[in-house]
Amino acid sequence: MSETKNKVKVHVEKVNKSYGENHVLRDISLDIAENEVVVMIGPSGSGKSTFLRMLNQLETPDNGTIVVDGFDISEKTTDINKVRENIGMVFQNFNLFNNYTVLENIMLAPVELGKLDKVAAEKKARELLETVDLVDKADVSVNSLSGGQKQRIAIARALAMEPDVMLFDEPTSALDPEMVGDVLEVMKNLAESGMTMIIVTHEMGFAKQVADRVVFFESGKIQESGTPDQVFNAPKNERLQEFLSKVMHA
Amino acid sequence: MKKTVKLLIVGLLSLLVFVITSSDVDAAPTPNYIITTDATYPPFDFQDKNNQYTGIDQEILKTIAKRQGFTYTLKPMSFNAATQSVSSGQADGVIAGMSITEERKAVFDFGTPYYRSGIGWAVKKGSNIKSLDDLKGQTVALKTGTSGADYALSVQKKYGFKVTYFNDSDTLYNDVINGNSQATFGDLPVIQYAVKNGTQLKVMNSKSPIQAGWYGFGVQKGKNTKLLTAFNRGFAEIKKDGTYDKIVAKYLGASATKFTGSKQDNSSVLGILKANNGAFLKGLWQTMLLTILAIILASIWGILLGVMGVSQNALFRGISTTIIYIFRGLPLMVLAFFIYIGLPGVIGMKIPAFTAGLLTLVLNEGAYTAAFVRGGFAAVDSGQMEASRSLGLSYAKSMRKVIVPQGLKIMIPSFINQFIITLKDTSILSAIGILELTQTGSLIVSRNSQGFRVWAIVAVIYLIVITLLTWLSNWVEKRTRA
Repeated sequence: MSETKNKVKVHVEKVNKSYGENHVLRDISLDIAENEVVVMIGPSGSGKSTFLRMLNQLETPDNGTIVVDGFDISEKTTDINKVRENIGMVFQNFNLFNNYTVLENIMLAPVELGKLDKVAAEKKARELLETVDLVDKADVSVNSLSGGQKQRIAIARALAMEPDVMLFDEPTSALDPEMVGDVLEVMKNLAESGMTMIIVTHEMGFAKQVADRVVFFESGKIQESGTPDQVFNAPKNERLQEFLSKVMHA
Repeated sequence: MKKTVKLLIVGLLSLLVFVITSSDVDAAPTPNYIITTDATYPPFDFQDKNNQYTGIDQEILKTIAKRQGFTYTLKPMSFNAATQSVSSGQADGVIAGMSITEERKAVFDFGTPYYRSGIGWAVKKGSNIKSLDDLKGQTVALKTGTSGADYALSVQKKYGFKVTYFNDSDTLYNDVINGNSQATFGDLPVIQYAVKNGTQLKVMNSKSPIQAGWYGFGVQKGKNTKLLTAFNRGFAEIKKDGTYDKIVAKYLGASATKFTGSKQDNSSVLGILKANNGAFLKGLWQTMLLTILAIILASIWGILLGVMGVSQNALFRGISTTIIYIFRGLPLMVLAFFIYIGLPGVIGMKIPAFTAGLLTLVLNEGAYTAAFVRGGFAAVDSGQMEASRSLGLSYAKSMRKVIVPQGLKIMIPSFINQFIITLKDTSILSAIGILELTQTGSLIVSRNSQGFRVWAIVAVIYLIVITLLTWLSNWVEKRTRA
């Protein structure tokens, strides 16, 4: 599935992060190309979510460099709000705005940030609802939705800003099993459309199917990375082997 | 829904503007003095059956002002607040049956002494206390800041009694009548007048006043010599032409009903309501005005402080915490006295009682509001802020569009509760002489001695207003839920 290697979209160099004594990220370096789909796997507490949240500055690194789309976001002078407009994020707990309807959730950012006027934003929102197959939910309160529906709306909300990069932080972990498929389907379509995606997940089947590259985190370090075939079928790292033997037979 | 709220806000703001500008229009031309008094002090200072301020003091002052060509605004409040307002420069003069003492001469300049008085002491009718020696171990009720109180304290050790303090005469008399305390010391003519008008007390030394002395009109020491001169000139005149004697005779010789209204008007709730409906309505209006303005301004101030309290900036958080700590910690009445009586001396500017009262309420209620606002915002799931920031919205925009609306919804019950507390707290401002519902009740009781009926009326009015406020709040809450 991997296309020709394009320019570097995300550049991470020697990033460290500690919470007190706890050194959660140790000297991480990673480059992600345009249109690439990177899936990050690893045990809980391995640092993969912290790493993902650093890419849009929800967490700040102690040191090191992070460049997204040519903007050095580890630099204090960078307007982080401007950079974030171009990075969509989907959360484990959806985080839909409880004080707005589905349509208003999707329209909020484009309208507030002056990207679209209200009419254009609503048109765009309805189109996005179609792509996540939830057109009939446009005017309902978000609290009436199921988890799977909420997560698809959350994806639509992130896409409304037409970002170049999408970050997914365990998007299916809080879902009932029968809801997972719908969300993964939407993500798969997105990957096929050429979106640059960085995904933290425990869905190994999905990783195998969609990822261009799989990165294995453990103890705050990238222990191994490669194509799905390399990582899942011929793991070299001992901890990766151990991790896979646990999750694949779970 | 949004439109309703906007309309409501616009309406209330225009009311605010109206109130501010209309009070400007009311201001009389100069020279207009502010004179304080304690209107629970018949026969010198009280409200008559038409709720007009009257009494020997008031009639003297009115006559002198007319003849000497000055005008004044009368501010009735507790005796203590009345004297302190003048000594701090908030008011220009005080006429409140105030005895001229050496101690007071250090703070005030007095006009020509206008009435010879002395201290009397009284017990409940039928009491078995016969002499001062019988007071051993008993409780004596005193009015704060009066010369009667000073005298009682000077002989307290000798006779071995305990003391308790009151701010208005009527509550004090009732304390003795109800047997909570056994005697009182006060200005002889005042006690005699009260007894004559049916207060169930017995004066023990009507023929031999203790520490006989003189009443005087007081101004701040070294200031307002013009006012004092005018008063003295006017007083000499009315003394000479007999007006003064007529005034004194009118009050001391009058029958009880002349000023207090007929028995019929005073012995039934309906009669009291009918005779005082104008006063009750005026008091209610002041209470409502204070409440509404305080609710609006305290909410705005509280939300601002609350937002600062959850700010990313440590300095803002610190400021918010400090302000909340200070104003939640201060008793409302202390804050009111500080602003109304303490502050003007320092900043060299008069603060009208209503403004001081409103400021007091806003600072106090605003601090409580800020505390629950801060808590309400903190209770909004942190994921909401993260989601908003991840879309590129700034912190301020995220607060406004996402966190504040959700937080406010959480806070609605706390707001309703605070509104009701605000309404009740306005009654404390009677202490600085704002003529709201509670102060109105005090003045009526001091005239007609119908404590039970008048306070029952006042209580019912408060309950009605609180019920209406609760209904309105619940209605708004339902609207915002939908």
